[in-house]
Amino acid sequence: MILDQLIWPLLLVFAALVLGPYWLAVLDGLAARSFGLAQAQSVWISPLSRGAWLLTQQTNMTEAPDWWAWRLAPALYLSLAAIGLALVPWSREWVATDIATSLVLWGSVEALATVVIFLQGWSANTLLTLIGAYRYVALGLSYILISMFVLIGVALPAESLALTQVVASQQELWNVLRQPLGLPLFLIVGLALTFRGPFNLADSTDLAGGTSADVSGPQRLVWELARSAMLVAFSGIATTAFLGGWLGPWLPGPLWVALKMLAVLALLAWLSRAFARITPERCVSLMWTVLLPLAFVDLIWAGAEALL
Amino acid sequence: MNLLALLLILLISLGAGLLLQWWPSRRQAMPTYPQRAPFLGGGLPDTHAWSRYHVRYYPMALLLIAFEMEMMFMYPWAVVYVQKGLVAVMEMGMFLAILSVGILYGWREGVFKWQ
Amino acid sequence: MAIISWLSRLAARGPATVFPALGMRGEEALYRLALNPRIRLVDSPRHASLLLVAGGMPPEMQEPLRRVHDQLPAPFTTLWYQSEPLLELQQADTTRVDSLDALPDALVDAHRNALGGELGVSPRLLPDAPPNPWQGLGDDGRGGEGMMGGVPYGRPMAMPPTDDLRDGLALDILTFRLGPFFPLWPAGLAAEVTLQGDIVQQLSVKSPPFPRPLAPVFFEARERAVPIARLELERARHHLRALFHALHLAGLEDLALDALGLAQSCEPEAIGALEKRFRALAGRMKRRGFFALHLPACGTLGEKHAETLGGFAARAAGIDRDARLDDEGYRRLDFSVISQRKGDTRARWHQRLAEIAQSLRLAAQAQQDDAVTANLEALETPRGPWRNEELPGDASALLEELLPGLEWGEALATVASLDLAGVSQWPRP
Repeated sequence: MILDQLIWPLLLVFAALVLGPYWLAVLDGLAARSFGLAQAQSVWISPLSRGAWLLTQQTNMTEAPDWWAWRLAPALYLSLAAIGLALVPWSREWVATDIATSLVLWGSVEALATVVIFLQGWSANTLLTLIGAYRYVALGLSYILISMFVLIGVALPAESLALTQVVASQQELWNVLRQPLGLPLFLIVGLALTFRGPFNLADSTDLAGGTSADVSGPQRLVWELARSAMLVAFSGIATTAFLGGWLGPWLPGPLWVALKMLAVLALLAWLSRAFARITPERCVSLMWTVLLPLAFVDLIWAGAEALL
Repeated sequence: MNLLALLLILLISLGAGLLLQWWPSRRQAMPTYPQRAPFLGGGLPDTHAWSRYHVRYYPMALLLIAFEMEMMFMYPWAVVYVQKGLVAVMEMGMFLAILSVGILYGWREGVFKWQ
Repeated sequence: MAIISWLSRLAARGPATVFPALGMRGEEALYRLALNPRIRLVDSPRHASLLLVAGGMPPEMQEPLRRVHDQLPAPFTTLWYQSEPLLELQQADTTRVDSLDALPDALVDAHRNALGGELGVSPRLLPDAPPNPWQGLGDDGRGGEGMMGGVPYGRPMAMPPTDDLRDGLALDILTFRLGPFFPLWPAGLAAEVTLQGDIVQQLSVKSPPFPRPLAPVFFEARERAVPIARLELERARHHLRALFHALHLAGLEDLALDALGLAQSCEPEAIGALEKRFRALAGRMKRRGFFALHLPACGTLGEKHAETLGGFAARAAGIDRDARLDDEGYRRLDFSVISQRKGDTRARWHQRLAEIAQSLRLAAQAQQDDAVTANLEALETPRGPWRNEELPGDASALLEELLPGLEWGEALATVASLDLAGVSQWPRP
């Protein structure tokens, strides 16, 4: 029993935590290639040699950082990603943490991510990282509502806040078709949660790397790992909430989940290279005056559809 | 068992994150003061960066709090929604309509601007 | 130990991560390296294993250079392209390269050797002492009046408030000096900046950007008639290189390299394909949100500043002036002045893109007709008109009026849309 309910799900979560970021790096390399960026190295090796390079580099300090918070922030971000992955049901039985309120727990992961990213930028006590941190809070406060409305939308037909129920409710029709606005809005949340592409307000080029500007070596490795792992966790939740999770013909459930997650990751990797970085002010306006009303519409749609 | 698994995952990943940072650099000497100075392209700051920072989106953060209160009602509401039917629609519709007026008002007042 | 050496070997297989510190006439190296997939240029020395010092370093820039040098995490090494290594470093393992063609290989080798431990680690140059001696009051050194007493951890706390430019709420200000090696604005530009939050409150230029060398053809054109095709291609190249920086700032890495690749292939042989490639690039920039998402609609140049800057910046602000109008050769090619009205950052990029397209069209037409210039007295350089003896000079002082009130990202996008450096008296080699 312990083996079934504890060991296997745990191993699955940690496998996803290690392999997921690697796959994302590979997919990102392929996305870069599709945009015409030449690479000297094979996309399979380059994430490994980048990791090795960061491991052998010296860890930087700043003059007077909040030392503990600074080192803790990347590790905390990584554990938030791990908690997210723990909620993903790989099949009806294979869930590391199958609780009645898993959607609420994911919501709190998203909210705490803002705190952790802020902490990483703030605790270095240097200017460029500090600006990145405060900028990210503006983004974090804006996307959280969109995410919540969209996820409440998938809870309505399931009549439950448990992700396993959400998957079960998609037996007839996946939510991506039933609530067509949901997944596109949720993907934007995913980019914002990991500050990638157009929403890279925290680690942006104009801040010479933002919250990472004064970070080097293993600390930077953990930060990048955590950022990728969070996107992997996000893709797991997106798969569960919109793409029918383990549902699918022929193949076993966990394999379906993995394939769908890879598809979501590939799409996100492509999206994060496709658009220019948005200015913070425009980002906040866009989130509140365009995307949030769209999330309302999605919720109303989901509600009407659930009653019919 | 579920919560035990969650706790284990939290602790192991946190430990791994810290270990991965500490282990490779455990024998490393403390970087020199010039190395630790903030990167400003060769320039230096006058002061520490920590300050009473001027956050421009402060009113937006206040607006968020109103919505976050609403979310607390929304979670249980979502579970009983299909069961209660139209009554639930009316209730939440009213709540959301009032909050939407808040967004419109905030927009007019320039809450989403870096003013 | 075996693991460490295995890791280093794996790490050495990756691209060489280079932080470029550009001196005078060092930018050619930057453009060459950016297009090389074995080199990765980074914006912070913390993210690099190599410090590339490219171009001449005036004596007053040596102290900032030492600071940047000391900020690279070990193991790292330095490479000097057409530059004299600092005196302290001449004993250490530094590499000097004077040929542009040999530079990429030299960097890749240096990267490999530095990570493999075959090169001596570059020594720290500045003394290991805190910026100020500890002078705090109380247990944590943070005592004193209103937390402002003393120098906790070597620096004072943030300055007391002054009135804010936008909303009047007065909070702490942060004053610091940025540059001359800040890679996201012109090389050599150093300024003292005061921020309140992320809004620029005050800026004063401490040293202007290094003069930019122009292509030799612009200098020839003042002495004899030159083919208009060559002149226009060099003009397009100049603007495309500026576009590279702006697109990098916007996070559109692939388009930035497209623009740079286009700039490097601005040669008379390829003229037909250039126009088509540029149209594709401009279309992609628009579709991928360079204007709509990234560029701020601010940074408007007043009439006075537009006049002093001249060139495309003036035309973007509605001043229809172009020295090419005074040239019989151009008039025969139906040259007409393009202009915008608003004069802000977006208008400047619209203007520059339109001028690149115009230059490529003029070049194609001029090549067909073998058109040459006819006026030796006045020449429109990419930076502005060059009449009599006076080359367009440095205009960075206008940032002091232009940037206050802008958000950090808006301010940098505005700087990237302008051409502030003066024109060097010597042509590009």
